[in-house]
Amino acid sequence: MTATLSRSVPLARAPRRRRPRSRAAVWAAVAVIGFFGLAPIYWLVVTAFTPDERAFTFPPSLVPAEITFDHFTKLAENEQLFGYLVNSVVVSVVTALLSVVVSAYMAYAFSKFRYRGRKSLMHLVLASQLFPQALLLVTLYAVFSATGLLGSYAALILSFTTFTLPLCVWMLKGIFDTVPSTLMEAAAIDGASRWRTLHRIALPLAAPGLVAAGLFAFVRAWNDFIFALTLTDPDRQTLPPGLVHTYLGEFQTAWPDLMAASFVVSLPVIAAFMFLQRYLVGGLTAGAVKG
Amino acid sequence: METLDRRAAFRLAGLSALGAALAACAPDAAGGGAPKGDAAAKTFGFTSWSLNEEAQKAAVQATVDAYAARTGVTIDTASFPYNEYLNQVTLKLRGGQLSGAVQLDISWLAALAAMGRLKDLGPQAAKGGYTDVALSSGRFQGRQLGLPWTTGSIGLVANTELLKKAGVEGMPATIEEFEDALRKVAGLGGGITPYAAATKAAQLKDILPWMRTFGSPLMEGDTITVGDDASVAAVEWYKKLYDAELIAPDVDRFDARALFAQGKAAFYDDAVITRGVVAAQSPDKSLTEKMAPLARPVLKAGDTPQALLWGHVIVVVDGEGSDAAADFASYATSDTATVAAFFEKVKLPPTTTAGLADPKVAGDTFTTEWTEKITKTATPNPFWRYAGYAQIETAIAEQVQAVLVGRSTAKDALAKAAETAKPLQK
Repeated sequence: MTATLSRSVPLARAPRRRRPRSRAAVWAAVAVIGFFGLAPIYWLVVTAFTPDERAFTFPPSLVPAEITFDHFTKLAENEQLFGYLVNSVVVSVVTALLSVVVSAYMAYAFSKFRYRGRKSLMHLVLASQLFPQALLLVTLYAVFSATGLLGSYAALILSFTTFTLPLCVWMLKGIFDTVPSTLMEAAAIDGASRWRTLHRIALPLAAPGLVAAGLFAFVRAWNDFIFALTLTDPDRQTLPPGLVHTYLGEFQTAWPDLMAASFVVSLPVIAAFMFLQRYLVGGLTAGAVKG
Repeated sequence: METLDRRAAFRLAGLSALGAALAACAPDAAGGGAPKGDAAAKTFGFTSWSLNEEAQKAAVQATVDAYAARTGVTIDTASFPYNEYLNQVTLKLRGGQLSGAVQLDISWLAALAAMGRLKDLGPQAAKGGYTDVALSSGRFQGRQLGLPWTTGSIGLVANTELLKKAGVEGMPATIEEFEDALRKVAGLGGGITPYAAATKAAQLKDILPWMRTFGSPLMEGDTITVGDDASVAAVEWYKKLYDAELIAPDVDRFDARALFAQGKAAFYDDAVITRGVVAAQSPDKSLTEKMAPLARPVLKAGDTPQALLWGHVIVVVDGEGSDAAADFASYATSDTATVAAFFEKVKLPPTTTAGLADPKVAGDTFTTEWTEKITKTATPNPFWRYAGYAQIETAIAEQVQAVLVGRSTAKDALAKAAETAKPLQK
């Protein structure tokens, strides 16, 4: 008994000694990553509340000595920015919806049907991600110009949907792969058509994935700068080019105003993430592990 | 596992196509389209980054509105952010989506002129009463492709209060006096950078006027002379200031303005518009009264002070409606009442003799001093004649930075810069 205890003590102590160290390492890693992730956001918020003449104080102050709401007041009075916001919402929401609808059907077809060229098509869809998107800008510009779409919302929505489809399709295919085919077969035995099976069984089961795909497409459309600047008319531009246009000038950058605007326009995306994050995590990881 | 029959395949394909069709159903007939019409068209476009810049948009819009009211034309305006402007304008001109009058930075003229779509504005230039230096900023290969809207220069500006505190008497006129002034300012301590010179690669093109000051022509004919003894001496001098902490690392124009606005720099390089820009960033409400332009110090007394020409021109895309657009460009740049009112609002100096003599302009001491001390002897960057001028400047800037941080000698670095720049001369 004694011998057993004496053998078991070192075994029990070893992990106890390691645990604090490993915990400390984890917390240190979290702190470092958290600092890099949150420090820019902190600086954005501080600058947004700092008066213009204090924003450039050298050396910079981490805590604002004086606070102003002027930048937010100016923002509220800027109708043009509201227009950019509306454009962003229209483009991002339609892109997200379109991406989800198109990619859901594509993914279902890739996952549940067997036909000649299926794998080649799947890899072709993925291969389109290999091209730097900026390279496609000139080509898309010419195409939209020739088709009369240049300057419209449609030019942006189509471009963004094109870019988001490959990842959305592959993400959703992984999810549909996890839906047992026996479920489809059971539905068929009960008399459900393929159409009904897809809409009443497969899509509800893939809901987290659909949300994740939609969020991904929404954020992609919300954040884009160069396509939104190039493919639309100034009155249809979205927030990223709108903010640059408004605050970054030839001679001057209105940093506090820009930070205030950036803070406010980030809020809808933050809210969407907070509301939908459980779907997002579930959707992104679903289908990652089989078995 | 199911197999896809033909009907189902068509259904799925149809749904996918529907998505695309939905997005495509809202084209704007006017979207991105260039104004159409004949030469006497009453509608034309005007593209300008200033139309959306807080400090200038009201003044530019007033000019547009005044011309439209006077002539009964409709001007379709468009604007892009300054930093993306050249790319956007180039793309749209190449795609046939750009017409009418277009504001340009003078350094961009060659890039657009190379596309062969700009109208010769010689007749308008001949009757506009522009100054010679202003006209030169819109000329490309002997043709007047741009009408000068504002002509100024990039020159040195000083904080006279700091100089006085440091015991600097009068403005330094030679390199030796300038260096002496910098050392006196450094003696003030308090984290002051005596000269907030550009040291970041993105802005190190500011060293080009110093190379000229030391006697390098930068170009002779079609040969880049960067790497000659004078340019090497200029870079070695710059490095000396850097090592003595008379200039600071990692400074670009925005940093320099911030330092100057906070009273932490005695000298820096900027355009004539500097007053309004630094005033907006400064807690010192009387800073503008302490600012003074100075001619760039020369190597030896009697030399011509060097400065880089700077300004905006209005070009006109050849084609339908270009006559009306050219008339607008002429009005915006040479109508004396218009340019004087424009100056009053934005402090950008006009380009005509009559405009400069207008009491609104002539009564502005800072601007007249700037024109007299700096713009008078300013010259364009010789690399601007090449569409790839920015890459040439970058090649030089990167090598100068290598010298500053001690990775290379001035001679080797500039020889390498010249070698890199050579194939970019096109």
